Amino acid sequence: MMIQEKYTGRYQNLKVAEALSNNHLYPFACNELSSIIDLGFSRFPKDLKAFIFRDCLSAFRLLPDMNTSAAVSAANLLVKSVESAFPKQKKNLAVVEFKQAKVALKRRSKSHEEHIDMPSLPQDILVHIFSFLDVSSLLSSSQVSRSWNQATCEGSIWRSLFDLHFNHKVFIHIHSGIDWREAFKNEYILSNSSKMLRSGRGYCSYCDSIVWHDNLRCPKKQCRLKSGKKPLDLMLIHQVVNYLLGTTSSSDESDSEDEAAVRGLWAYPTLQ
Amino acid sequence: MSESDMAIIKPDMMKSYIWLETSDGSIQQVEQEVAMFCPMICHQVLQKGAGSSKNSAISLPHKVNPPMLSLIFDYCRFHQLPGRSNKERKVYDEKFMRMDTKRLCELTSAADSLQLKPLVDLTSRALARIIEGKSPEEIREIFHLPDDLTEEEKLEPLKNTMDDPRIRLLNRLYAKKRKELKERAKLKSIEVEERVDERSVDDLLSFINGRDHKGVNTSKSKKKNKKRKEHKNGTCKVFNKDSHNLHSKQRSVEETSSSSLGRVSNLHSMEDDIFSKKAEFEDGYIDDEIDPALKEMLDREVEEFARRLNSSWVLSVGQERQPVHFSINGNGDTRRLTDD
Repeated sequence: MMIQEKYTGRYQNLKVAEALSNNHLYPFACNELSSIIDLGFSRFPKDLKAFIFRDCLSAFRLLPDMNTSAAVSAANLLVKSVESAFPKQKKNLAVVEFKQAKVALKRRSKSHEEHIDMPSLPQDILVHIFSFLDVSSLLSSSQVSRSWNQATCEGSIWRSLFDLHFNHKVFIHIHSGIDWREAFKNEYILSNSSKMLRSGRGYCSYCDSIVWHDNLRCPKKQCRLKSGKKPLDLMLIHQVVNYLLGTTSSSDESDSEDEAAVRGLWAYPTLQ
Repeated sequence: MSESDMAIIKPDMMKSYIWLETSDGSIQQVEQEVAMFCPMICHQVLQKGAGSSKNSAISLPHKVNPPMLSLIFDYCRFHQLPGRSNKERKVYDEKFMRMDTKRLCELTSAADSLQLKPLVDLTSRALARIIEGKSPEEIREIFHLPDDLTEEEKLEPLKNTMDDPRIRLLNRLYAKKRKELKERAKLKSIEVEERVDERSVDDLLSFINGRDHKGVNTSKSKKKNKKRKEHKNGTCKVFNKDSHNLHSKQRSVEETSSSSLGRVSNLHSMEDDIFSKKAEFEDGYIDDEIDPALKEMLDREVEEFARRLNSSWVLSVGQERQPVHFSINGNGDTRRLTDD
């Protein structure tokens, strides 16, 4: 009985359900659910299974509201995990929800397409808007159009991103001609940031919990005040799952590769 | 102070108004404390003494149209009252920001030209939240922006474009293809038909011909073009012939370049599709569904190509939100792509 409560308690600490209704966190939450199901579903106690099932259903119900390709990919992956791991009845229920969501999505995408004249935003405003974006969104923006691309080249944006991600651990020689985007890119690749950012999770030592980080910081205000400029310790997905399962498998390459392979097997795109 | 005192004082403290003129020529007056909340107006009043009468109305920047002005003044009217709590302001702001993207953009521009920084911050953050997590195509759709970057420019900053001739060739082909697709979409509504299509095909062909044989064949293809324009009925056949022409050109391009241009053979098969679609089009039927899918395939092609040419960083960052997985592309290649 004690062990069961521990699992369920930890799962609730993770606050996956809350993240699902957040536009930005939805894909991360779905991926985490997928990994949790892939790596441990059969071992879970009954009530934890029930929670996970409930959250999968919500994920599918919320999909039409999310309406981005990242959300659709994440939901596709989740349904694959569901199909492999859930018992027959639950699986069917979940898949039905998923299919309904896809239909609703299709209906929504057909509605727009009027040719509207959008006011064009001046460069300095674009730069200001981009200063609020995370790296991945910033790079997406750089691929949108010429004027947006030029705005994303602004050094100040990359400088503050560099500060945010790497200032606490990298000493960089700042000279007058420094290309902050290049500097950021090099450090990003060196520190394997892509992998670390994939989960959307960090560990906050101030509140001693695994949180959905808000631009590398703890979402709780008190923790942000206490931590100052220092970002959270980012976590990999399998580390999150380890926390849930209470296991302590080593965090080396083989684990994440296994994960990738496991997901890869099921990630064959569903044909419409 | 007693209430009767207040009653006497009130008429003396009459509200003063500031006169403002918007770009469309209409003049209105606004309570002073509301208008003065905007630094630009404040500056005009204090430094130049403007706005005190209808004749000396302050003319506002052209980005500030009447509906935007009234929105801005709603905002100012609420916030200029010192008695509001932080929570009240926050709640108001959140509600205030609920509008469609177009209005948000207009509002941002207007607020910026009036130098109303708190509102600019608010709208900018709202716009950033809209942009967050979306793919470039989705962003383009929401903001109605043109797709005017070449594939290589998308992956590296504009100032650092690569000089690799293979990339330039690929880009030009794709740019022409894009133009073609767009023109076909336009033609559906305008019905100018074959003329425009032909020209873009000609461009493509003559470009490829010119590229390979250093202009020797361009005169030949020009003659072909002229014939085509005169004989409408023969177009189908000519297209097929040219598609074979293109096919062989593609092949020779392939062979002369290194293996990384192998992807171009996929381009060829797409072009075959397009050419056969043209034949259908002449019967007055276009299969619209292909275009966006083709576009997507084009994008994916270039992504793969550029990745191999070491521009992979930009795309790898975008994969943060996508799980690492594999898929087989429609042509049956064994090479794995990222999905969606």
